[in-house]
Amino acid sequence: MFNPLLALARYLQDTSLRLDLSQSTWGVPIIGAIHVLAIAWFGGSVLLLNDVRLRRFRWIGLSILVFTGFLLFWSEPMRLYYSQFFRAKMALLVVIGLASLLPARHARLAMALSLVLWAGVILTSRGIAYR
Amino acid sequence: MALENSWIFPVVESIHVIGLAAFVGTIVLEDLHTLGFAIPETRNLKMWTHAGLATMLLTGAVMFFSDAARYLHNPAFHVKITLLVVALAAHFTLHRRGTRFAAVLSLALWTCVVLAARAIIDFDV
Repeated sequence: MFNPLLALARYLQDTSLRLDLSQSTWGVPIIGAIHVLAIAWFGGSVLLLNDVRLRRFRWIGLSILVFTGFLLFWSEPMRLYYSQFFRAKMALLVVIGLASLLPARHARLAMALSLVLWAGVILTSRGIAYR
Repeated sequence: MALENSWIFPVVESIHVIGLAAFVGTIVLEDLHTLGFAIPETRNLKMWTHAGLATMLLTGAVMFFSDAARYLHNPAFHVKITLLVVALAAHFTLHRRGTRFAAVLSLALWTCVVLAARAIIDFDV
């Protein structure tokens, strides 16, 4: 059966950028530092999820996290594809995406759900560094 | 170290990062508000700032004492702690005045603390 995620991981594994990223001394540390810095700068906005004025601020943060996160994935795609923690993290991100579709009358539920889910994302993320 | 090889260390590390999101995350919102960005008033987030700080100090201490000698030999750890002391001192004095200068200084200091903290991993031996 065709597995698009595995195909993507295999494709990225064979690119020269994967080699450059994984062999560079400061590449991954710098991208990882920006990734963590984005959590520090934009993490607080999750506490004000119902405030529409922060919508653009949240999207900037999410964009930086997704962009740096994708580069980090690119640096070791095959290991991450087989990491249980990485899979759990991706699953949680999908649930966060679905929770954001909850209708406005469930705003409080969406808010509480998103706090718990983001905490889970951070927990599984740290796990990825270990296995 | 016993703690480093168990599942406890990654969990403590994760709670430290969750505390970071709450602590620095709310301070950044407050500073950007002070600087006139389109960020709402964040006075009712004070509780999260303090809960985040308490969480970070506690989990940070647990990680440090799991292998104190290793941290003391890490140059990034020294930079981080020095910056942390300065940032905390500024936070509880200058920052309270709510001036634009204090907001810029706060953003710069906390950014440097996070970067130095992340570098602890890279300078670990």
